[in-house]
Amino acid sequence: MTNFEISSAKVEATAGLSVRRHVMSAAILGVLILLSAVANGLWLKILTSVAIYTLTAASIALLYRRLGLVSLAQVAMMGIGGWVTLRLAHGTGLPFEMNVLCGGLSAGLVGMVLSYPALRMRGLYLALVTLMAAGGFAVLINVIQFPNGGDGFTGFAVRSVAYMPRPLIAQSDPAYLRYCAGVTALGFLLIRWHETTRPGRAWAMIRRSEACAISAGVNVTLYKVWGLALSGFLAGIAGGLLAGNLQLLDARSFPAGESVLIFALTIVGGAWHWFGAILTAILYRLLPAFLNDIGVNGNAAYIIFGGALIHALMSAPTGLAGQLSDAAMAIRRRLKRGRT
Amino acid sequence: MKRHRSTIIAAGAVLALTSGSALAAPKCGLNNGTKATGQPIKVGAVVGQTGPDDFSASAKAAKAYFTCVNANGGINGRPIEYLIQDDQWNPEVAGLVAAKLVKDEKVVALVASGSFVEMGVNAKLYAAEDVMSMAAACAVSECFESKNIVSTNEGPLPSSVGAAQWAVTKLGSKNVICIGLNIPSVGQYSCGWTEKYMQSKGLSGSSILMDPASADMNSAVLRAVASGADTVLVNLPAGMAAGFLKVAQEQGIRDNFKWISSTPLYDKAIPGILGDHWAGVMHVNIELTPIEGKGPDATNWREVLDKYGTAQDKRDTFSQSGYLSARFFVDAMLKLDPAKIDRKSVSEAIRAIKNEKSDLLCGPYYVGDGDRHMPNHANMMVQIAKDGFKVVGECTGVDSAYLDPIIAQEKRLGIGK
Repeated sequence: MTNFEISSAKVEATAGLSVRRHVMSAAILGVLILLSAVANGLWLKILTSVAIYTLTAASIALLYRRLGLVSLAQVAMMGIGGWVTLRLAHGTGLPFEMNVLCGGLSAGLVGMVLSYPALRMRGLYLALVTLMAAGGFAVLINVIQFPNGGDGFTGFAVRSVAYMPRPLIAQSDPAYLRYCAGVTALGFLLIRWHETTRPGRAWAMIRRSEACAISAGVNVTLYKVWGLALSGFLAGIAGGLLAGNLQLLDARSFPAGESVLIFALTIVGGAWHWFGAILTAILYRLLPAFLNDIGVNGNAAYIIFGGALIHALMSAPTGLAGQLSDAAMAIRRRLKRGRT
Repeated sequence: MKRHRSTIIAAGAVLALTSGSALAAPKCGLNNGTKATGQPIKVGAVVGQTGPDDFSASAKAAKAYFTCVNANGGINGRPIEYLIQDDQWNPEVAGLVAAKLVKDEKVVALVASGSFVEMGVNAKLYAAEDVMSMAAACAVSECFESKNIVSTNEGPLPSSVGAAQWAVTKLGSKNVICIGLNIPSVGQYSCGWTEKYMQSKGLSGSSILMDPASADMNSAVLRAVASGADTVLVNLPAGMAAGFLKVAQEQGIRDNFKWISSTPLYDKAIPGILGDHWAGVMHVNIELTPIEGKGPDATNWREVLDKYGTAQDKRDTFSQSGYLSARFFVDAMLKLDPAKIDRKSVSEAIRAIKNEKSDLLCGPYYVGDGDRHMPNHANMMVQIAKDGFKVVGECTGVDSAYLDPIIAQEKRLGIGK
């Protein structure tokens, strides 16, 4: 087989993968839309949470997969996005979409600021810096609180909470689930668009070797900042959606430990496959709620998470998504062999 | 003749024993001793059981009362199926479990809920679905500022202000520091209004609010010492309050301050946990009447818990409150046609509750159709003694501008007349 034949075979395989990816994502979206019509009140709320945290997990996986960066501040980023969304919703009366977009941009801006140490550090040290940032956010938000319809910069007043309005097209719980699933799908497309264009190529080179990337003319500073800003933006959007889900936010929902937990679960779910983020969100939100629903204390999920993390680190470095993908490929190969 | 006499004596003894045991048996609902077997009526409750503290005493007391009601004729033959959900002190979980109860299980009402988070998250859902929540251990402002939530307990605001009010009058307090939780509609709400009360009397008030997830008692005690206050108001859940007082004891600062607390410290187990150190020093505001009360409801509450609850169920103010919410609910349900009990008729029946009396309360209980409810806003003071509690302040109305709309509403409804 010549080089040309190998590369054209690769192109065909990649095209096949891409088609399968689109079919699968369309199928997942379809299933969610179907579920939004038939699920009961509890499961609508759970699935909405899953859709929202899928976006957060995707933002973590993007950094880890493309730049090899560990961010332990993504739940804090959600808090920033949620804070701005709530403040604008109560203060300006702008449409929901504008508020969420501003929330995402603010979190993206903070992501850019966070990227300053990222330019100098990697691995454990960067992870610690992001964890400190998440801890700092938890302290700060406990002091200023989330806006509840009050006046002034913080928008907080000692009184009963005013509920933030949901988007006009998604007032009910089923409609809001579909809305969140749609926004998360757009987030995936944004990630995909970045990965298949110039930033994706630059990130791939940076991940291999920064020195090589510089010698190839890649602006390492720009693309690292870009990656962290994009990741923060997506987490911020997820925070805005979370604010719309409960129509309020509570400072107690954003401790630094949550950022660590969702990162660990991203490793378990699989950062190397796009649907790993969905598995992460299922583990993070659906499993504890399911255990609660069948009468088992939801905190028992932490034991499962611990076991799953050890399993992922020891025998499944590509996570559950990687294992599922390998299993699917093995089945396809066997079927092909059976046909010939 | 001798034989006749002994038969009469034996019969008399049996009668006396039977009537004695009948007196000790709790009274619930129809009280006919017949087990209810009809179609169950679903009633829910959301409590904060797992988390920084166990806040489920109210629902446990209500569960015992409903079990007793079901064994005594139910709601005109229909038993109550009581579904208790744990919100884990987590707003998201609170939203999930309330959706399950209200939308999926289609409960006709929520009774004896006790939480620091669920009312704030779910007040909108209850209003949208027009389901009433007759809560019993409310701690957040939304409990008292929502159309569809009415609580039998007072919440931390009247309890804290009541404690400060008593300390100003009886102990001569001039500067009160309130130790609360940094939950906006709990700590800022109750400690904030206590500060306002002190200012309204030309005195000083300040607050220390702790993060419930990482409450640092040492730091709070040191900040209280540095505040310059002469009175410390402990406004924390029972477990945390006991922790705070243990640290204060270790620091040896007891005699530097006057000590008062809101209701959560009024738990039968607390004097034993704290030991003699705080006996005669710590004064606790109680939102209902004493747990050793001799009135019919106080006696019945204890008997219901003894017979239908467990030994581990707390015997505290919130347990009394849960029992009372359940009793008022059952009394309202018994007036309905059992075949026509649905959410709409139940919500109407609850709103129609007016001028209910109980020896467990300082004043009458009512609901009405107002946009906010706080039927219970008079309280008592007790002092921690070596082996229990001693009453040091009788029923007194709380003096706070916060209550102005409630008082106006009572005038409109003709309550207490």
